[in-house]
Parts: sequence; C-alpha cells; structure tokens
Amino acid sequence: MLYLTDNQKLSFRFPEVHEQARLTITLLRTLRVPDDGNDYPLPAGLGCFPVRHLEDFAPRVPATWLKRGGVMIPMYQSEALWVNFETTYVADQGTYPFAIKVGTGKINAVTGSSWAEGLTRGPQDYVVAPKQESLDGYATGKDIVRQFVAMPLGKGYSVEEQITQSDQWGGLQVQVYPMKREVFEKRFPVKPPLARFSLSNDYSRNTFDDFTSAIKKVQAGRGSTTKPDMGVAPGGRIRQQIFADDFESTDWDLAQTSRCFIHLCNSALWKSLTGENPPTPPLTQRDYQQAGLPWFNAFKEKAQTLTGSAKLASLETVADHAQTIGDPPLKDNSSLIPQFVLDLWGGSKRKQ
Amino acid sequence: MSTFGSYLRSKREELLENDRRYSLRQVAERAGIKPTYLSQIERGELDPPSEKTTIALAKEVGQDPDVMLALAGKVSSDLQAIIRKHPKAFADLIRQLKDLPEHAILRVVREVRDGEW
Repeated sequence: MLYLTDNQKLSFRFPEVHEQARLTITLLRTLRVPDDGNDYPLPAGLGCFPVRHLEDFAPRVPATWLKRGGVMIPMYQSEALWVNFETTYVADQGTYPFAIKVGTGKINAVTGSSWAEGLTRGPQDYVVAPKQESLDGYATGKDIVRQFVAMPLGKGYSVEEQITQSDQWGGLQVQVYPMKREVFEKRFPVKPPLARFSLSNDYSRNTFDDFTSAIKKVQAGRGSTTKPDMGVAPGGRIRQQIFADDFESTDWDLAQTSRCFIHLCNSALWKSLTGENPPTPPLTQRDYQQAGLPWFNAFKEKAQTLTGSAKLASLETVADHAQTIGDPPLKDNSSLIPQFVLDLWGGSKRKQ
Repeated sequence: MSTFGSYLRSKREELLENDRRYSLRQVAERAGIKPTYLSQIERGELDPPSEKTTIALAKEVGQDPDVMLALAGKVSSDLQAIIRKHPKAFADLIRQLKDLPEHAILRVVREVRDGEW
C-alpha cells in the first residue's frame, strides 16, 4: 500500500506483514555537484520536492502518464535530486528492514540493467534500508555514484536513452519489498531496555530547506524548458557507499511489494497542470557556498559495499554529452572546494 | 502521574540511557520550555502543554506527534480544521471505522494508483 502524505512523502506500508512495516521515501532538492571528474562529498538536502497524485489533474495530464499511474514532481532542467529512505523503529526490537529498487527510465540505478520485478543478488540490484539512508545517483564505481540530474528527453542525455536508444519512459521508479515478518521477529527479538538505542547522528542532511528561502533573490529568471517529459542523466561524482545486503535473499517477502512511477515535469508543465508555481530555481554553487551550507561524509569504514556498474560508468555524463552533441556547456559547473564538510556518523573524516 | 507525562518521561529516559542530550534540561531547552516546567509535566503535576510544545516534545523523543497529542487529550489543529469543513461526513466516517483494525482503516485511505509500466 502506498500513500502520499503531506504532499511530499511516499509512505509505503505493509500492514499485512507487520503493523510497523513502514518506509517513507522523500525526494530531496539539492545542489548539482560539478560534473568535472572530481569526487565530492554529499551535498545537503534543500527541502522536499512537492509531490502530487496524477489523477488530480487528469484532464491535463498526458494520457501515457495516466496509464502508468503514480505521482509527479516538478524539476528544473539540470536540477539534481536525491532519494531519502526513512524506516520505522519497532519498539524494543529494531528498525524494520526493506529492500528497495530504484530506476530511471526503467533502467536500474544500481546495475544499469533493464527494470525487472523481484530482487537479484548477483549483482545486487537494490539497496537495503535502514543501512542505506539515501541514494544520490547511479552506482558507477566502488563508493562512487554519479548524481541524478534531470534532463529533457529527446537529446540523448538520459541513462535510458544512452542504454536503450529510446526515450519511452523517463521519470523515476521505485519498488519496495519488506522483510518477512517471521524473519524480522527472529533477527530482531525483543530486547531489554538497555540495549535499545545507539544514536550516533549528530547531523541530519535533509534539514537545510530553511536556507533556500534566504537565498531566493536573483532566481526569478532562471530555469524553465519547453519539453514536458524529463529523464534522469548521470552528473558529477559523489562519494557514497552502496551497502551490500547483509541478509539472506530468502529474508525478503517477494509476495508483498509496492511500487511507484514518479513522473518529472519541467517547471512550465507543472504550472500548466497544477496551477501552482514550481519551487524556486535550484541553488547555484555560488549560492550554496556563500550561504555556508555544509557537505557531508557518510562512511562506514568496515562495511561491505558494492563495486558499482561498469555499464553505468561507461555512460556519458551531462557535461560530456553536451560536448558530444554540440549543446552549450553545462552552466554553473566550475570545480569547487567544499567549505564545510561534516561527518554524518562520527567516524574518521576522509581527506578532501 | 498522567499518562502523557509518564509516557514522555519513559521515552526520554530510554534515550538518555545512551545519549546525554536527552537530559531533562537539554530536552526542555530544545523544545523551548523551562526544565522545571518539563519536570512538572512529566510528573503529572501540570496538565499537558500546548499543541505546539507537545509536538516539539514528541519530535524530541522520536514519537508520533498525533499519538502524543492524543495522550494529551488533544486533536491537532489541522485535523480539527479538516473535520470542521465536513463535520457530519467525518463524524459518520470515524464512527463507522471505530471498531476496525488499523490495517482495515488504512484501506480507506487514498492510495497512490499504480498502472502499466
């Protein structure tokens, strides 16, 4: 069962499995990191994208979108996003685990393979929450992702177009599988009170939306493209671990699943469909650095992580593809040195 | 001791076992109230605080604000506003749903529609 709450949270619930089997997925606005071949820490979340049911605007929504169902969000061309996973703590036991598949244009963001139902282990084509708290891009190397960047379909930027030579789907797809109830009860038995919590997060990445309101200036004229359908393309390199599944493949309840197609509207289409103004244009690198917004390292030193997909690593990034097809160079793409880098999990900081 | 106060105290103390930031003083400061006031609330010497403070305290101790408001004998103002728009319809609906288990109640909540893809 999938609900939309607060017009920004996708709430996946599996009450038939466990009353606390809940996963909330939010799509976070963020800085597009420079697409310059350098590795960057994780940028902060700058507020959630607004999310709407498609059918609320059915008379104006493209028929192909209605057929796919799901929800829609507004994005500016070359705007970046990350996907945040929030799990539920079951009192006295632990956090309920989920296996999550993420795709763009029906291409798996972890493996680069075509979208398929179910879970695959060799290579692993999903992430596991709560260990995986977010996914910022395509898994292109060990502990490296290429940032999710929205681009119009039709010019070959998107991962879908580069792999399939087709721009049929676009958008973002997620599918969620809960752990089996009996496995959860066995793996996370009721604990005595002293063993309950280990809170180590001093910082949260997704609480910097207040900063954006202070930086609204100068932004009125930016953004906006004319093509309505958006796909997702690989952007700059971000250091992010994709954790290997520590559980058994049989631990996941494949009979219970819920999925969502997230359509990406450009700002003009969003306005025409919903009558609402799109969010303010994304922050520039200069805005971000001048506001003193932080960057984050989130490394678990001894964790087993995936090596990334050679297929995804071989694709052209947005900046590369612009050069290939003779488009103007990507704006706001100068290399930068992150000013404030915080360590999310209290471990040792990586060298910048 | 009130249900609200004792529940709040138990959750805060659970967190305090592993993290000193959940001391009475620090939680009160982050929620924007005086430690003595929080202490009196936890001991049931004073009624539960305002909606705003209840929500702030719920977030501090990682509890659902709606659940904490219910323990405080309150309904959040946004829910009240929703019910006031269609009081008869919501009153009938809630009475009809009152004996259903939670998973059945969730069935009447609007789902995101999935299609062919």
